[in-house]
Order: sequence, then structure tokens, then C-alpha cells
Amino acid sequence: MSTFVQLTVTGLSNGAILALAALGFVLIYKSSAVINFAQGQFLLIGAYVVWALTADAGLHWSLAVLGAVLVAIVLGLLVERLILRPLVGQPIISVIMVTIGLAQVLGALVLIIWGTTPRAFPDFIPSDSVDLLGAQVGESRLWAIGLVGIALLAFALFFTRSRHGIAMRAVADDQQAALAMGISVRRVFALAWALAGVSAVVGGMLLASLVGVSSEISGFGLLVFPVVILGGLDSVLGAVVGGAVIGLLTTYTGGYVGGGLETVIPYVALVLILLVKPYGLFGQARIERV
Amino acid sequence: MAATTTGVYHTTYTADLALRHTKLEYVRLALTLAVVVVLPFVASPYWLTVLNQIGIAIVGAIGLNILVGYTGQISLGQGGFLAVGAYTAGIVATKTGASPLLGILAAVLATALVGAFFGLPALRLKGLYLAIATLASQQIIIWVITHWEFVTGGVDALVLEPVALFGWTITGDTQWYWVIAGFAGLATLVGTNLFRTGLGRAFVAIRDQDIAAEVVGVDPMRYKLLAFAVSSGFVGLAGALTAYWTQILTWERFTLDVSILYLAMIIVGGLGSISGAIYGAAFMIALPAYLQQLSFRFQGDSFFVSNLPALQLLIFGATIVLFLVFEPKGMARIWQRMKDYFRLWPFRY
Amino acid sequence: MRLRTGAVAVLLALALTTGAQGAADGSSSIKIGGIFALTGPTSDVGVPYSEGVKAYVTYINGRGGIKGRKIDFISQDYAYNVARGEQLYSQLKSNGVVAIQGWGTADTEALRTRVNADRIPYMSASYAATLINAQETPYNFFVAPSYSTQMRIALRFIADQSKGQQTEVAVFHHDSPFGQSPLEDGKRYIQDKSLKLGYKTYTMAAGATDYTAQLTQVQSQGARWIIIQNVSTPAAALARDIARLGLNAKIVCLNWCGDEIFVGLAGRAAVGHYTVQPWGTTGLKVPGLKAPSAYLASRGKTLGVASLHFVQGWYTMAVMSKGIERVIASGKTVDGPNLKSALETMPKFSTGGVTPEVKFTPRTHEGLHSSRIFQVIRGRFRQVTGYRIP
Repeated sequence: MSTFVQLTVTGLSNGAILALAALGFVLIYKSSAVINFAQGQFLLIGAYVVWALTADAGLHWSLAVLGAVLVAIVLGLLVERLILRPLVGQPIISVIMVTIGLAQVLGALVLIIWGTTPRAFPDFIPSDSVDLLGAQVGESRLWAIGLVGIALLAFALFFTRSRHGIAMRAVADDQQAALAMGISVRRVFALAWALAGVSAVVGGMLLASLVGVSSEISGFGLLVFPVVILGGLDSVLGAVVGGAVIGLLTTYTGGYVGGGLETVIPYVALVLILLVKPYGLFGQARIERV
Repeated sequence: MAATTTGVYHTTYTADLALRHTKLEYVRLALTLAVVVVLPFVASPYWLTVLNQIGIAIVGAIGLNILVGYTGQISLGQGGFLAVGAYTAGIVATKTGASPLLGILAAVLATALVGAFFGLPALRLKGLYLAIATLASQQIIIWVITHWEFVTGGVDALVLEPVALFGWTITGDTQWYWVIAGFAGLATLVGTNLFRTGLGRAFVAIRDQDIAAEVVGVDPMRYKLLAFAVSSGFVGLAGALTAYWTQILTWERFTLDVSILYLAMIIVGGLGSISGAIYGAAFMIALPAYLQQLSFRFQGDSFFVSNLPALQLLIFGATIVLFLVFEPKGMARIWQRMKDYFRLWPFRY
Repeated sequence: MRLRTGAVAVLLALALTTGAQGAADGSSSIKIGGIFALTGPTSDVGVPYSEGVKAYVTYINGRGGIKGRKIDFISQDYAYNVARGEQLYSQLKSNGVVAIQGWGTADTEALRTRVNADRIPYMSASYAATLINAQETPYNFFVAPSYSTQMRIALRFIADQSKGQQTEVAVFHHDSPFGQSPLEDGKRYIQDKSLKLGYKTYTMAAGATDYTAQLTQVQSQGARWIIIQNVSTPAAALARDIARLGLNAKIVCLNWCGDEIFVGLAGRAAVGHYTVQPWGTTGLKVPGLKAPSAYLASRGKTLGVASLHFVQGWYTMAVMSKGIERVIASGKTVDGPNLKSALETMPKFSTGGVTPEVKFTPRTHEGLHSSRIFQVIRGRFRQVTGYRIP
């Protein structure tokens, strides 16, 4: 029983971090129909900036997180303005490739600025063990789950109650109509990228507290794809549910089956979902023949 | 739109379909062949190795361009298909000791089959869904290779004996240059000719307007699968050549980074053009190689040397981004513009 | 074809500008190549090791070189990627290097036939047992007990600590030839010596964020000892997960994770764990550490920060240097075969207490055969046994 609890909590917390990364992804896709292959690198930058501000510059962790959030917002805005805007109207392969190119550039910059030595993440996220139903569970994992819940709630409120959130949904639905209604599509894009940056910082921070600050974090970004395909590319709720499912699936496979299967199972699940329900559990289906 | 062969009138269908129309084009062709022949004698050993790599990449890039540039399908699974071709050839060589030609044939067929299989999602998905499906296929293929130890040796390197063809062992980069250049030339010829046939035109029709194509009688299902199969065949050939040339096969040669490299080749080179694939392959391989050569000159604690891989990565990514932002049609377009400028001078267009 | 003119012209220009690399200048400097992992999977230990190797070269050149001849050291990063390593090897060869300081198991094993054919002595940081036999791999050397020897030492230590009771051992290893190197030999050792040890292996996948799933399997196995054949960063992550789960298991790290990096990253989770570390830790008071720490001090750094892998690289290069010195002293030209026989016939080389004395023979190229065992006590690895053999 305690094994099951152990695995479940680990799976849910991994899934929570995946969901945070996926949230940024979904936001960008929802508003501008762009697939951001650089999401993993955003996580990486988030983790490194928080580490650098805390460990190197010696700031208090709240200031460091704030600083990292600011950096993420600026980065998101710059990327949107300088790189994505010139590519409006280009075939989708070009847009995909430009975010891939961006991913390489960001990864390389992190390597150049901070080197390859892995670092320990500062201890402000408590990492003691907590006893839960007979199993020892890391406190930082529970924090991860909690933070994602809060983020989900915040986004739900944002999209339903706030003007900017509704504007974003309008742009995602029909850009022309939104423009006709006086919504600045450009501002919505910028906002989407900025919010994606913020969720990446938080996700990166949590991930780094679990595995340490190193370039390994960007590899996590690839796992975002099974999550968003499962949940639906344009659904926030889907990102969270997808994250939980993939996180649990991977951990259960690792715990009960083993043999390295857990590294490939998300991709097998992805292919199966694509064949059965390509738009995911909560995504908006598009009617297309052949 | 600039006219590239103004003043040329065709009076027969054969003349219209010909690959070269004017005398100048024949002269350029002859010059190119001359350079290709002379190159191995003037290049240093290091650059000869790089040329061989470029030759193999040309085969793979042409294959990928057929799929992405001409048929409009997206594939992030190039690395995985190269792996299938390479390991098939490697396994045929080490386990059966058959002639390398048989190994190449097996590699091409096996990769075409695997490619067609992973192309099945293309029938239902488009655009980025297809990209993600192929990304998954890449990861799955690599996982199978590293875990199917009985056949592939798992994470261990598969070491091949030097290749012998009709009793002649191919040793040294110069000999390999001729073999690889031969295959690259063959691939270029087949690729260019493909688009003079009905098959090629069907591919282009699917890229442009697949629903309209179906109306006109092009069965998308059949032709999409064929596009994956043909493209993967080329890629399988490239993989087999990699196996025989390097003689050391590890899964690390075929990761997602390689898929991205090939995509970068055809995008930087120019989608939908065989020559673009060639330029792109040459450029994307020569650039990091040149940087590496430079770093040998700057030994010591310099920033350049200690950060070389990061700088290579940075320049690689920056190249992709800059080309896409400033010249989305790639090097083929740049070359086209240069030719037009001289052809039409002193007029602007 | 007209299509290739542009690309080919570019290549021609490049080829002609950079030109052919000539052979080494035989009379004055000695060209040695270095293939290092400065980025990628093993870079956490690869960077300090490479710095140690290069530091020794600078140190010896600063003292006038080896019998008046300086070492021209050309090295580059290959990111632990076999394909790149192999390419780098070809480049170094065409640059005319006499010997190579290498790194990883996968690439060293893949290159061994070529190294043999090219007759270039290759001293690797890989301690795989496949590189020991001088009949099979005459040009491969390494200055350490092989991973298999270390595994045997670890298993015997565990058997001794368990006082003859049946104990379960879990072996966590890197997902690569490096990780798999000692596994079979470990199992065979248990059978040969009839040790009462259960033995189960677990792969640490690259990029894994946590090992909880595998640790639950370890729990059901009931393992009390965990041997880790991996580098420091993943080992530290594993240690932290073990502490988090409250698992009552002791770690025995083989040489690549038993270092300051492990202790630093694992923090409190490192307490009480062991390592089979043939290279002395930087806390040891041995004369052999004087030269490297003096060198570092002159550059404003300390040994503790540079880590024991710096010393490892330093002395590995020192051994090769000694071999070169013997070749020059005997009046022969410094080339591969002469260096190989010089290394094989060298008398015992002392590292001043950092390691046991280094000795190769014409039959085996495994430089060391025993190791001390250290334990994390009060924040550092401290010696708990003398030199132990399997």
C-alpha cells in the first residue's frame, strides 16, 4: 500500500511539474497557434536565473523568484516580437523550425553563461520528508501539486472573469472578429508569451529543487508533448489532466514494470492517442476530411 | 517573377522536359563535375572527411526534402529512420557477412517499410500533429534500438569490418569519397527525375491542395504513404552509407538532434528544391566543422575553446532563426537571385 | 550538376584556406591529443579531470618540458558522444599526435581496434576491464583499478560488513557501456567466491528526474546496500531520493561518483555512504598533493574546489609523461610503439600517496590493482580502510 501511495504522490508531483510546463505551451498555442519547441529551455532559464539570483547574487528567495519572473516576461516578449512576428503567415514547418532554432540558441546561452557544472538548488522550498498514509513523501513534491492547483484556479479565473483573459479566448477563437471588436491581437500574443514564461519559471524552479540545476532540465521539455496531445493542445484543463495522467503512467510503469520501459511509455501513449483521439481529451476538434 | 531562361523556345516535349536548356547551364554542369573530381586531391584529410559526411548528408537531405518540401508532410523522425537503415546494414554485415550491396538494399527496403508504417498517422493528421507523431516515432525507434540488445547490441557500439566490394576493400577517405560521391550523384539524379514523373507531380499536388488533388484523382492515402516510403528509402541509403563508412555504430548518431539537423539542412537550403537540399547539407555540416578546425588553432584557455560545443550550438540555432526570419526560402533562393541579377543586368527584373 | 557549383565552390574555398595539417615537428615539441567530455552527460567530472591533465602539461612545460622538449597538447570536447569522439580522434591523428589522453568507455572501446592499427598509445579515463589485456588491446592503458576490480572490492567490503549474513545488493548504473562494464564481472565474483549476496541491477536512465519508482523496487528486493556505477550528479540525486524515502540502505560509489561533487550536491543525504576511491580525496595529508595544490594556489584556486578529479587528471598525465621521459632518455624517437614499451617496462611510479604505486606490465595495462575505501563523515569523505584488493 505504501508503495502505491509513494508512486502516486511521485507521479502526481511529476505530473504537476509537467502540467506547469504544458500550461505555458497551451497558452501560446491557444492564442497564436504556435508550437513552442523551446519550452524546455524556458524551464531551464527559469531554474538558472532563480539559482543565480539566490546563490550568486545572494538575494532573498522571494526577490529571486520575482527577478526570474521578470526575466521570463521580458524573454517571452522579446521572442514574440523579434522572432515570431516576422513569421506570421509562413508555413507551419517554418514556425516549428524557428522555435527549434530558438531552443538551441537558448540552451547554448545557458551553457555559455553558467557552464556545465551542475549545481544544488537553494533550499527555500522545503525538502524534508512527510509521512503520508505510511509512505515517506518529499515535501517539495506536495508543494508542486499545491502550486499547480493554485495556478489552475488562477488561470480559470483569469480566462473567465478578467478582460484580458476573455480577450485571449476571443483571439484564439477568431482573430479577425477579435480585431473587429477592438482587441489588440498583438498585445494578446505578447501577454500569452509572457504568461508562458512565468509558468516556465515556476515549473523550472520546482524541477530544479528535485533534480538540481543542470542542463538535464531542458530534456524534460520533450515530455510536454505527450501531455498536451493527451489533454488537447488548446485546453488548460487538458494540460493539467494530461500532466497527471502521464506523470502517473510513467511512475507506475517504472515502479511495477521497470526495465527502462518508463522512458518510452509516454511516447507510445502519444501515438495511441493520436490514432484514436487526435485532438485529445479536452481539445477542440477541427473538422477535416482525408 | 524573374524569367530564368528567357529566349529559349521548345519545340518538342522532350526538349521541354530536359534538365538543361541552355549552353551556359551545360558549361556550369561541366565545371561542377570538374570541381567534384578535383576536390579529393586538394582537400586536407580533415576536409576530406567532412566532404564524405556532406555526401552522405546530401542523400539524406534529398530524401527528407521529397517528404517535407515536395509533399508537404512534416517529419521529425529522420534520426530514427537513419538508425533503421544503419543498423540494418550493420546487422547484415556483422551477422551474415553478405555483400555490402545486399546490406544497402536491405537497408533501403527496411527503412522504406518502417517509414511507411510511421507515415500511417499522416493519413489522419496534419501539420503539427504529424510533427509530434513523428517526434514520438523518433523516440520510440531509439528506445527500441537501445533495448533490443539481442539484435542491435543495445547501448554498446556495433563495430563493422571494413567494407569489401568484389574483392576490393575500400580503405581511406579518398576511396570512400568516390563511392559516396557516386551515391550522392545517383540520389540527385533520381530525386530530380522523380519530379518529371507522375509520382512526383502527385506529391506536389498533395502539398499544394490535397483535397483538390483527391478530386482530380490523386489518392492521398496511397501517395502519402508512398512519399514516406520513397523518402525513407533515400534516408535508409544514407544510414547504410554511414554504417559502412564510419564502421562504428552507436545510437548517439541518430538522436533527435540529428533529425533537427536534417530539417535545418533543407530549410536553410530551401524547401522543395533538390539543389537546396545539397546547399543546405553542405552548409550545415561545413559550418560546425570549420568552427572546430578554427578552435584547434586557438588552443589554450581561450573562451572560444572552452565553450566550443556551446558556440557551435549557438551558431547552429542562430543560423536557423536568422534564415527563417530573413530568407525563408533558403539558400536556393539566394542563389536564384544572384543568377537572376547577372542574367537580367542592367535591368532590375 | 549546375546545382552543386555554389556549394562546392564554398567548400573549395574553405578547404584551400585551412589547408593540410602537417605532421608533428619531431625535434622539439611532442604532440599529445586530448579527447575530453566538457559538456554532456559526464561533464561534471569530465571538466575537472581535463583541467588536471592540462594543468600538468602547463606545469611540466613551465619547468622546461620533458628533458627539454615541451608538450604540445591539443584537446577538444566531444560531449560524450561516440560519433564526435571518433571524428576528433581522426582529426588528432591527422594532426600527428603521438599519444592520446582519452575519456569515456563507449568511445574508447569503439576506437580500440583503430588505436591498435594506428599504434597510438591511448590512456583513457575509462577503466573498463575490456581494455586491460595487452594481447587484445596493446595500445590502451589506464591508471586505476578497472571497474570490475572496483566492483569486486566493493562486493567483498559489503560481504565483510554483513558478517556472513545473506544480504541483498542493488547495483545502479549509468545507461551506457560505462555503466554496464562491471556488472557481469560482479555477478561472477559472487558466484566464484560463494559470497552470500543477492545481486540485482537497475539502469539509471539519462535525464531521469527521480528514482522513486526504482527505489520502490529496491525496497521490495530488500536491498541494504546500493552500489553506484555512475558519475556524481545522478548519484547525488539517487542519494537524495534514498534519504527522502527514508530507505535504510548504504551506498557504495565506485570511483566516478565518490568525490566532493557528490557530497556537495547530496548534502545531508550523503552522510554515512561509502566509496571505493582509488584516487585519494583532497582531504588526505599525502606528499603527492603538494605539487597540484601549489600549482592551483599560484592561480588563486584551491584543491578542494578543483576536486579530486583534478588530481586524477594530473597524475594520469604524469604517468604518460614519465613514459615519454624514459623514451627520450633511452635515445629513441618519441613515437607510439616506443612509448608503449616504455610504459610497459617502467618501474613502479609513485604518486606520493595519492594512489598505490602505478605499474603496467607487457601483459596487463591496468595501472592499479587496489583501492582505499572512504566514508562520508562530518561532511567529507574520510579514509576508513587501507588499500584493499578484491
